[in-house]
Amino acid sequence: MARPLEGLKILDFTHVLAGPFATRMLGDMGADVVKINSLDRAVGANDPIHPYYIMWNRNKRALALDMSHESARKTCGELCQKADVVIDNFSVGVLDRWGVGYDTISQVNKKVIYIQMSGMGDGGPWSKFVTYAPTIHALCGLTHTTSVKNRQDIGIGFSYNDHQAGLHGAIAILAGLESRRHSGKGQRIDISQFEVGVNFVAPSLIDHFSNRTITEPSANDLPYDEVAPHGVYPCLSNGEGIKGENWIAIACMTNEQWHSLKSLLGNPGWAEVDSFSTMSLRYKNRRELDSNIQNWTKDREAYQLMDTLQQAGVPAGVVQSGDNLANKDPQIRDREFLFAFDELHGEVGQTFGDKLPIKFEKTPCESYVRSRSLGEDNQSVLRDWLNLSPEDIDKNKSEGWLN
Amino acid sequence: MSEGPLSRVTILDLTDERGIYGAKLLADLGANVIRPEPLTGDPLRARGPFIQSTDQEKQSIWHAYFCSSRRSITLDLDSAEGSEQLELLLTKADIVLTCPGAFGVERSKEILKNKNQEELIFIDTCSFRPDCEWADYIAPDIVAGALGGQIATTGDADTAPLKNFGELNFMVSGAYTAISALSALYNRREAGSGQRVEVSVHECIASCLEHVFMFYWYGEAMEHPDGKVLPRRGSLHWSNAYDVMNAETGSIMVTPTPDFDKQLTWMIEEDIHDDLIDPKYLEPENLRLRVEKTMDQLRDWVATKNAEDLFFEAQERHMPYGLVLPIEQVAENPQLVARDWFVPYQIGEHKTLSTGAPYHFSDTPWKLGEYKSMNEDQVDILNEIGWDS
Repeated sequence: MARPLEGLKILDFTHVLAGPFATRMLGDMGADVVKINSLDRAVGANDPIHPYYIMWNRNKRALALDMSHESARKTCGELCQKADVVIDNFSVGVLDRWGVGYDTISQVNKKVIYIQMSGMGDGGPWSKFVTYAPTIHALCGLTHTTSVKNRQDIGIGFSYNDHQAGLHGAIAILAGLESRRHSGKGQRIDISQFEVGVNFVAPSLIDHFSNRTITEPSANDLPYDEVAPHGVYPCLSNGEGIKGENWIAIACMTNEQWHSLKSLLGNPGWAEVDSFSTMSLRYKNRRELDSNIQNWTKDREAYQLMDTLQQAGVPAGVVQSGDNLANKDPQIRDREFLFAFDELHGEVGQTFGDKLPIKFEKTPCESYVRSRSLGEDNQSVLRDWLNLSPEDIDKNKSEGWLN
Repeated sequence: MSEGPLSRVTILDLTDERGIYGAKLLADLGANVIRPEPLTGDPLRARGPFIQSTDQEKQSIWHAYFCSSRRSITLDLDSAEGSEQLELLLTKADIVLTCPGAFGVERSKEILKNKNQEELIFIDTCSFRPDCEWADYIAPDIVAGALGGQIATTGDADTAPLKNFGELNFMVSGAYTAISALSALYNRREAGSGQRVEVSVHECIASCLEHVFMFYWYGEAMEHPDGKVLPRRGSLHWSNAYDVMNAETGSIMVTPTPDFDKQLTWMIEEDIHDDLIDPKYLEPENLRLRVEKTMDQLRDWVATKNAEDLFFEAQERHMPYGLVLPIEQVAENPQLVARDWFVPYQIGEHKTLSTGAPYHFSDTPWKLGEYKSMNEDQVDILNEIGWDS
């Protein structure tokens, strides 16, 4: 069965995580994504044999060009003419220097959706600022708020905003394609990864604009609603130090869930006092409440406790590591969400992947092709997109601009 | 002004927190999105924060943000009339966004069982897959984040593991909800038929963990001392090359990447380079040592600096440092102000600002639609669906 985006041609000039994540998703759903590796930039986490690169570049074909050669830039221009979508997340101006900027390409490909995902967007006093996800987290308020009181050096422990910028990039592309279907015209889409990030603190910002509220770090509390207990509690350890720790999240969103939890606790005296008698009072006295709950959880095995709590209707979840997800999670196991690619990578050997979390009933996306080596698909891409013969391709290779 | 890119799409929004961000994204892109509410009102209108006012009726900022650009109708699903109205709404919809247990979802499934609506796209954003052992688990954002792998990554060695601020896990599943709807729509435009689509919140979160599975699969091959699982460790990035450092005034995210030589040049100017010019640091086996030594030197240096001054100096040198800003300073950020990014928004009688476009379309601009009060569009919607009372 065909996947939902089959037939869609995407030319991918992205690097690191945000852009490659957007095109990975579109590739998973069947789009023909051609990833351009500019030889001078295929280093570090952008080196096709780096695990980081391997993670975000499956289901794409790889074309390697030396963009310092005019012939490479010309070929790039020809590919742009054939593309439904051109996407980059370089700093503003890089593709213009290669001669494939929007103003040039939109003249020869009126239907192209041309999307640029720079850190700050095209325009404004910070448009030339250089950013990675940790930069954005700091600037958009997520580092300040994802923390405990009086700490400014915690923040989110992974590049959340890169993933979200990729997701928003995919949404923008698909919306642009829907518009094109009716108008017959392509367009340019400018994404500021900073602006994507600021959206995640929107209720706090509107609260500030409306009420002059100062938002403080909320740790494991809900920032805007009085809900307690709502926290992460220690369970029985199975080793020394931080690596042996086990934790469980418990959240009683309703009075009914609190009463169920109390029953499991054995209706102890401490839980029956007035200071825990309403949600509002539990929230007001939540640190004392947390301390009592922690005394109960700390000697219990996390997965058994989760099961007991959930059976009683109390929302609870083990704090799972990557290892737990891979080895103890029934959904991940049953769906084979984590998998090894069928084909070995020519330079790395066995590589692995996690599946698209979307399950289409009629157009299932269960086809996964491993991340490619530098220029591994030069032949097939130039044949399929530009109708070049093997002889033409060999000639280009001998000129040195095609890897 | 042109219409948004989704102006020809009609969507029925039957989501809760797990999918509502997706409905917002599609609505702000110009889709005609109708959100039915029970007669008692959308329960999400009770989510804080609220507009501070002396009025009896509390206006939810949370609801106003996540329910922008929607049209509101109330349905009495205990009556035959309400069910018929829901059926007509389903007939007119291109896409139905649902979360199990949200208002109108079970009734919609019953109605659709007996209908052959081949073109309809039906998105089900569920906590866990219905055939999974955990299918009935209740998972608000903090529980979903724990099981999905987010919480294990965040926090420090001397704190509990931490959830992300707000409900960022559900903003991931919301974004995937929008992607699934638009991909199915693309396919319908090509192939002619709609379909059911399942989006698992659990898998959505697990798919957005950056280094977590990379460590699980390749940690040993990368010879990382932490092996398969990197424990929570504040803001120190998996590569060790990004960290939030406390300055004399303020805090700042500091990184010598992507150009270590540029950072070293700056350190030499400041005379804080110690022995980092020793050629031994260029040997591949000393790369980790180079990163750690550089970060240690920078920590001591940053502690003597004003974070804001340092941020601008770094960016002047094209180095991706990031100043840690509280929300009230984000509200006044010069980049956002210069791009006229915050947009006027009205919540009831209260005029305020909301966040702006996450993407800028040259021809079919994003637009924040009005925030509607409960059943404000009742008459118009009933007329449009041909309801004849």
